[in-house]
Formats: sequence, C-alpha cells, structure tokens
Amino acid sequence: MSSRDASLTPLKTIVIDDPPLRQAPEPFDEGSAYDPHLPIAIDFGSSKLRAGFANQAAPTHIFPNVLTKFRDRKLNKNFTFVGNDTLLDQAVRSQSRSPFDGPFVTNWNFTEEIMDYTFHHLGVSPNNGIRNPILLTERMATVQSQRANWYQIMFETYNVPGVTFGIDSLYGFYNQNTSGNKTGLVIDCGHEDTNVIPVVDGAGILTDAKRINWGGRQAVDYLSDLMALKYPYFPTKLSYLQYETMYQDYCYVSPNYDEDIKKILTLENLDTKDVVVEAPFTEILQPQKTEEELRVQAEKRRETGKRLQEQARLKRMEKLVQKQEEFEYFSKVRDQLIDEPKKKILSVLQNAGFDDERDFKKYLHGLEQSLKKAQMVEAEDDSNLEEMNDDKTIQKFELLDIADENLTEDQIKEKRKQRFLKASQDARQKAREEKERVAKEEEEKRLKEQQWRKADLNGWIKDKRLKLNKLIKRRKEKLKLRDEMKDRKSQVSQNRMKNLASLAEDNVKQGTKRSRHQTTIDNDPNDTFGANDEDWLIYTDITQNPEAFEEAMEDEYKDIVELEGLLLEHDPNFTEEDTLEAQYDWRNSILHLFLRGPRPHDSENIHEQHQMHLNVERIRVPEVVFQPTLGGQDQAGICELSETILLKKFGSQPGKLSSTSLDMVNNVFITGGNSKVPGLRERIVREFTEFLPVGTNFSVNMSSDPSLDAWKGMAALAQNKEEYKKTVISKKEYEEYGPDYIKEHKLGNMKYFED
Amino acid sequence: MSGGRDSNNNNNDGNDERLLFLRGVGERNEIGAASWFKPAHYKKPARRHKSARQLVSDENKRINALLSKANKTTDVSPAVKRLVPRATYFSVEAPPSIRPAKKYCDVTGLKGVYKSPTNNIRYHNAEIYQLIVKPMAPGVDQEYLKLRGANFVLK
Repeated sequence: MSSRDASLTPLKTIVIDDPPLRQAPEPFDEGSAYDPHLPIAIDFGSSKLRAGFANQAAPTHIFPNVLTKFRDRKLNKNFTFVGNDTLLDQAVRSQSRSPFDGPFVTNWNFTEEIMDYTFHHLGVSPNNGIRNPILLTERMATVQSQRANWYQIMFETYNVPGVTFGIDSLYGFYNQNTSGNKTGLVIDCGHEDTNVIPVVDGAGILTDAKRINWGGRQAVDYLSDLMALKYPYFPTKLSYLQYETMYQDYCYVSPNYDEDIKKILTLENLDTKDVVVEAPFTEILQPQKTEEELRVQAEKRRETGKRLQEQARLKRMEKLVQKQEEFEYFSKVRDQLIDEPKKKILSVLQNAGFDDERDFKKYLHGLEQSLKKAQMVEAEDDSNLEEMNDDKTIQKFELLDIADENLTEDQIKEKRKQRFLKASQDARQKAREEKERVAKEEEEKRLKEQQWRKADLNGWIKDKRLKLNKLIKRRKEKLKLRDEMKDRKSQVSQNRMKNLASLAEDNVKQGTKRSRHQTTIDNDPNDTFGANDEDWLIYTDITQNPEAFEEAMEDEYKDIVELEGLLLEHDPNFTEEDTLEAQYDWRNSILHLFLRGPRPHDSENIHEQHQMHLNVERIRVPEVVFQPTLGGQDQAGICELSETILLKKFGSQPGKLSSTSLDMVNNVFITGGNSKVPGLRERIVREFTEFLPVGTNFSVNMSSDPSLDAWKGMAALAQNKEEYKKTVISKKEYEEYGPDYIKEHKLGNMKYFED
Repeated sequence: MSGGRDSNNNNNDGNDERLLFLRGVGERNEIGAASWFKPAHYKKPARRHKSARQLVSDENKRINALLSKANKTTDVSPAVKRLVPRATYFSVEAPPSIRPAKKYCDVTGLKGVYKSPTNNIRYHNAEIYQLIVKPMAPGVDQEYLKLRGANFVLK
C-alpha cells in the first residue's frame, strides 16, 4: 500500500490570506471638468458603491460601501475613512462597518458621510448644496422608510434639484436594450438577494416579479458555516474576506447537481476537483540538530539509563537482604514462641511492636509473599542480562553448606546474601525451562499445522476462514454492545442494571451470615470463580471501563491480523483487499475523501493541520440559488420562478408560449455581481431547455462585467433626455407630495397599492 | 505620496510613519465645516437606527394598517374602491417550491436518503452515521440543521 501512496503527487496548496492592503489613497477627480447640470449616477450597493458622472463610460469611483471611524489619540481627533481608503491599513480595515444591515440601509449617518466622500472625490463644486441631479439605485419593492430616508438625504441634506430612483437590475437591462421598449426576463443575482423580473416593452412587471432572500453574502456565510462544521478543530479562524476569496475563486455552478454529487467524492474526480486551501500561519522552526549531536545525545541518555538501572538494582538487592534477615529473625521468633504460654507470646510480640498474634502472623505472611515476588522479578530482570553472559551466572555458593556456628559475623551476612542469590538463580532457571517448554510446544504446533496444510490445504483454509469469520463477528458484536451500552434505554443497559440490582441484593444476604462472607475471601477450594475465562465477563458487564475494552479489542485485532497473515500466505483466494484493514483504507472512506481529499492524511504535519479541502462545497454553495431549501429558505429557485413566469403567466398555455413569453425567452438577461460565479449561465440554459416546450428558441445573455450593469444603465438613461425627464422627482414635487411619493417609470418601483 | 507606508509597523518609527500617512489621508478627505455641500441652514437630524428586521416588521405594520383602514367600510358598492396591494416587499417574495424537496446529506452534501432517528440529521451512508452523526456532541446537530433551517427555535 505504501508504494501506491508514494506514487501520488502532492496536491497543489493555495494559501488563502486577506487581500493585500492598498498603497495609495482614492484619487480625487479633476474639478475643472465639473458641470453642474450633468447628472451623477450612484449605484449604492450593499457590497460596493459605484459613482460617476453620467457622461462617462464607466463609474470613476468603485469602492466597498464601508466606513471606519478612526481615532488619532495623539491629536485627539477622529478621522473617517471610507471605501478604498479603509483598505490602506490593517487596523482601519478590520474596524470597517457598513451602513447596511442585510438588504437595507440602516445607518443613515454613515450614508451621509459616505455621500460626502463620494461627492468630494467626484470633484463636485457645491453651491449651497449639490447642483447636479442624482440617479440612485433601489431594491425591488423596497420598504417605504428606505425611500423616505433617501428623499431626506437628497433634498434636505444635499439640496439636490432632482433625483431618480430605479431598480438596479432594470437599469442593467436598460443598458443592454437602450431602445427602451424591449421585452425580456431579468435574472438578478445580487449581494443580498436574487430577483427574477419579467420586463414587457421596457417596463418591469413587478406584480409578477419574485425575490429570493439569498445572495452572495449569504453564500459566503453559508460556506463559512459549512467549513466550520467540517473542520471543528481548525486551529485558526478565517475572516469573511478569506471565505469570500474562496467563494469567488473556487465555487462554481454545477451543470447537473445531482449527477455531479454522485461522483464528486471519487479518487479520479477529486484529483481535479479537490481544492486545498491553507490558512496562513507562522511556523515555529525547531533548531535542527546534526546527526552527530543526536548520536551523542542518545548515547548519553543510554548511559544515564544504565547507571540508574544499576543503582536501582543494588538498592533493591540491599532491601531484599534486609527483608530476608528480618524474615529469618521473625521465623525464629515464631518457632521459639510456639510452645510458650499465650500471655508471654503477647508481651514479646507487643514489645516488638505488634498488636497481637494475628497481626504478627499477617506481617510475617506479607513478608514471605513480598520476598517471593521480589525473587520472581529479579529472575525476570536478569534473564535478559543472563542471555548475554550465560556462563558467568554459574556462581559458587560455598558458604551455604557450612553451618552458622563456624562462620564469622560477616560471613553469616554473606551467607544470607548467597542464599538469596541462589534462590533467585533457581527461580531464573525454572523460568528458562518454562520458556523452552513453551517454545517447544509452539514448534510442535507449528509443525502439526504445516503437516495439516500439506495434507489437506482446503480443509485447513476452511478451518482458518471459519475462525477468522468467528473473530470478526465477535468483534462486531462487541462494538455493537459498546454502542448499546451508551444508550440508557437499550436492552443491554437494562440487563446491566438488573445485574447490578441482583448483586446488591446478594451482598445484603451474605452480610448477615458471617461465615459465608468469609468463604469468599479465603481461598475456598469450592469457589471456582475465575477458573473459567467467561466468569470475568461479569466485571466488564457491570463496570464500564473503556480502557480495558480498548485493550481487549486490540488483542483480538492482533489475532485477526495473524490469521489474515496466514491466509494471505497460503490461500490463493484471499487477497489484501479481503483483510479487515483494507476495509478501513482511506481510499474507501467517503469521510476521508470529503475531509482530506484524494491523499492520505498526516495529522502531525503542521501544514496539513492548517488545510481545508473544498470539494462538495464548491458546487453545494452556489446551488442554493437553484434550490433555496438547501440554505434554509423555503422558496423556489431561480429556474422554477422563471418557469412559472414563462409558462403560466402573460397568457401562456401549457405547452404553448404566448408571444410575450416567447419575446421574454429570447431575451433572458443575467445581471448582478453574484452572477459572476462560473457556470451560472450554462446551468440556466440547461434548465430552460428542460422546461421549455421542445424546439423553443431562446437566448440567455450576460455582460462582460455584470456588477457594472446597473451603473451603466443609469448613465444611459440620463443620456436619453426624453426618457430621463419622466423619471426625475424634483424638490418641489417632494415638498408637495411628501416622502410617500413614488414616481412610476419603466425602470422604477411601482406604487404599493392599486389605484 | 511620499514613500508609501511601512507595512511592518512593529517598531515605533514605522508606527509613526503609518499614523502620519493615515492623518494625511484623513485630512485630505475632510470637507470642512464651511463647505457648500449642504445648505447653510442644514443641521444633521437626530436619526434612529433600526435593524433590518425591525424595518421589515414596520413595513408590514404600515401596509396592514393602510389595508384595514381602507377596507373597513362595509359599503360594497362599486363606487368605493378597495385597496389592493400591488407590489410590496412581501408580495414579491418568492413562494415555496412546488417541486418535492430533494434530500441531501447534512454533513457531506451528497445524496442523503437516511435520517437519524435521534436528531433528524440526514446522512449519506453508514460510515457518516457511525463516525459523525452518532457521536455528535449535543448542540452540533442543531448547528447542522440550522443550515437548512430545520433547527428548533426557542421563542
């Protein structure tokens, strides 16, 4: 498997950072060319503001519609930065705020300051107010208070002679069809919402127009929410701007969503479709050590370890000898006291610091046990050493055969030590023999297996497969059991509670009879609990011990791997793909492909920790305008809305389009900044082909920069004197009709109610 | 513009330079109190900030009030015109889809034919269920459901 991994080329990684800061402030237009009669067109969008004089080909100022109040503490003065000027500095940019809340302007003080800035940069030379008439954009069927506030800003704050309100997407349509009486269908993909508006003879028919509450802003938020859920432990938090970059650069409309999601998470597809983005981070570089240094370090560590081990061993030995002496001494005491009267025994023992005889016995027993144990440990410890220098261990214990009376004090001490050493050597010997015996048995078993395999391969395979299946089944059952344990209402949990309850009951019963209680503590020969391995399951049933469970699972897994190894070697029909591990292969894991793309994941790699994979999201996010329910909007998508307008309105019959509808289909116009998502037009064409009667001719158009459509349309309208005159609301009219006044024209909003 | 701006503003010099630069831009952008942008008698009105949600509900109230006021009359003679909404913020709202909603996995976005009985999360296959949906921490399920507007909203 690793060889296959190595053949994979690493994926290209794109580092997503905030866009770079601007270096130069927004330039001012030349004031010399200023003409006070030239209309000024302002597309006051919720994402960007575009402004310029109507005689120009394109807006001279395009900037994000935001503002920052910046406090200069040294001068004790506030500065206001607007639009592109907020992008000059990191701190200023991060504090920028929009006059909009969702689709509506809510902060009119900000609006006023942004308008100041705009007029100032346009080079307007004012005279008791702005002398130019203004064209403004408006949301389709906007709420009345928005317009009232705009009237106030325009007429009272700036004292403008006249203002034109129009719907941004209809301005855009007008720019495309300047003759002014074309019929068509406008699909407007904006920053805050998406609109479908039928146009007949150049006039927007708002009674049949529809709005979906989903735009580019919601799409970016949706992407950001999706990614936060996809990578809940992502080390850094990305900004809106970073997600916006991801959305604009890598999301696209799928031509056929349901077909695409079927195959997007496959290895072949992901190789081209998976986009790896990396959050910028500062890497902490560990000073690299040379090989020589590492070697010296390891050597040092090893030596220290050895020394410590040796020290510990000596200390242990000393302690043991001490214990041994103590044991011998007390054994002697015990032997001496055996025939003495009880009273004396007690006094002797109490002098030695014991409570009573029982305490003494207990102490002696404990001592004996710990000695035995220590000897065992010693034996095991030494077996490693021993294997290296086998001959050296045959030591002489000459003192052992000499009676104590014939020895000096030192020699007696030495003798005790020798006795202990001999005991441990014997234990070692025993352990070694046991090991050899086991090895021999293993060997015999192996040979038997081999013979069996040679004699009857099929039978052998059958047996092994059966065993393997049994193991796998048991593993699955255990995992299932564990999961069910977590659920309080499951059968298993209920059984466990029953077990616990019955055990509690048993305890009460036994507590009353002391004798029975004790039999369980002593080594009662009748108590066979534990002889059978299954007995111990009662504890796993009752206690929920995740570590023990994991350990048991691990052991079982080892058995499975061993069996699989045998089968791989000898069974021609058993391949790598049949192993349990292969089933956990990341290639087969939808989740891995979704989270980590078509490459194995290294969770230690700091770069990979900071990486996100965009795959399904690339088409899932832009899909919402076609299926708003995906994003939680209980609304029909743009194609369904178009279908209703074209097939059911304007006199169309099922299967037969009216001439108005035919004109509309022949002039479908896509506009708005969010329509820049690649593939949008193709998808709309595909869906129109599906719902329109077979053989209907239609055409779907888009301009080269849909975000400028509205402004260019305003400029075009202002150039058409005849049309333009009908749209302007003068200050006099405003004063006469008040802030509720709507002047209806082809590109503007209608009155709220029928006359 | 002299020399641009030092993007590394850790040191004090860079910081000062940055501040001077911003000051310059800020001062150039000021229109001054004596400007003629606004009429001489103009005084900035005290404006109340309303959230978008409030604006929508205000508009709804406004329209309903107008309707009930105009249509209160019991006179049904054709001479009295009834007020009928034509194009309001609410009437242009796209209606719910009449097509059956397609079901997608809440986690991966793939086809989601199954639904978790405990938390209503839709999922693509057993693997997603085992590894994501089942061990999902409390609250996270609501985060997922919120994306498609199927979360519980406490009022």
